[in-house]
Amino acid sequence: MRIETCYFCSCKIYPGHGIQFVRNDCKIFRFCRSKCHSAFKRKKNPRKTKWTKAYRKAAGKELQVDPSFEFEKRRNMPMKYDRQTWTRAIDAIKKVEEIKGKRSNHYIMQRLRKGRELEDEHDVKEVQRDLALIRSPAAGLKERKAAEANAEDMQESSDEEEDDDMVVEDGGVVYL
Amino acid sequence: MVYRRKKYHYGDTHLRKKYRTKRRTKDLDQIDEDIKPENAEKLIDQEVDLDKPGSAQFYCVHCARYFINDQALHDHFRTKVHKRRLKALELEPYTIEESVRAAGLGSFKEPQKRKITTQPEKEEVSAKKQKTD
Repeated sequence: MRIETCYFCSCKIYPGHGIQFVRNDCKIFRFCRSKCHSAFKRKKNPRKTKWTKAYRKAAGKELQVDPSFEFEKRRNMPMKYDRQTWTRAIDAIKKVEEIKGKRSNHYIMQRLRKGRELEDEHDVKEVQRDLALIRSPAAGLKERKAAEANAEDMQESSDEEEDDDMVVEDGGVVYL
Repeated sequence: MVYRRKKYHYGDTHLRKKYRTKRRTKDLDQIDEDIKPENAEKLIDQEVDLDKPGSAQFYCVHCARYFINDQALHDHFRTKVHKRRLKALELEPYTIEESVRAAGLGSFKEPQKRKITTQPEKEEVSAKKQKTD
């Protein structure tokens, strides 16, 4: 008894599930459910169908290359039962699964983090471009104008004083 | 018991016929095997088989189709169907091995892009064959 993989979505097929198609060159195509089978009949490309594992790998959504993928092997030789090897194998499987899970989760998190960075960058750009929507360019215009007028008045008065004293120097006072 | 009254598969006869197993043509991964030079040579220069269209003398390797004569074959090379097929074969097709790799049995391999051109003329192939003999 063996747990097979689906041709289309690459999920596990447990005994008693799914259907298989044998092509006239002896290749066996196994399908986990009628959804995958009918997609195959319609000649859909699993690399372009978003819900398949093949798509997720091809599009770089999941961890693609890693030594932890090389542990699992399909062997066609029957092995004589030995309790020790069995327990060791089971322990090893658990360990490998754990490492594999951690690495692939880490990969996904790193990928999402990149998206977050880009999002932030985009937000900053948008705010800078549309700053007028947040703060009106006319805000505080009245005060600024009043201040300018005030400054002019002051300058004029100071100029008059200078004329009286007959002191020839440059403007002197600068108002912002 | 209530039976379904509405017909849900009305008017899809053409689809059912299209997806019949008896109408299956070669898949892209089989053609990928065929376009290897040593296999392609055999397919282009076939023995006379009276059961096949054009006695199996005018075969398009990429589309896996027999034509009745040279004119029909060369007209086919200029059609959209053929060009689309060449385009589809540019990227290595999906195989069972890839589905297994995607399931986590081995690392992912990037499908390679290659240049696909229409097959050489039959005369060229047979001449080459004679030379090697």
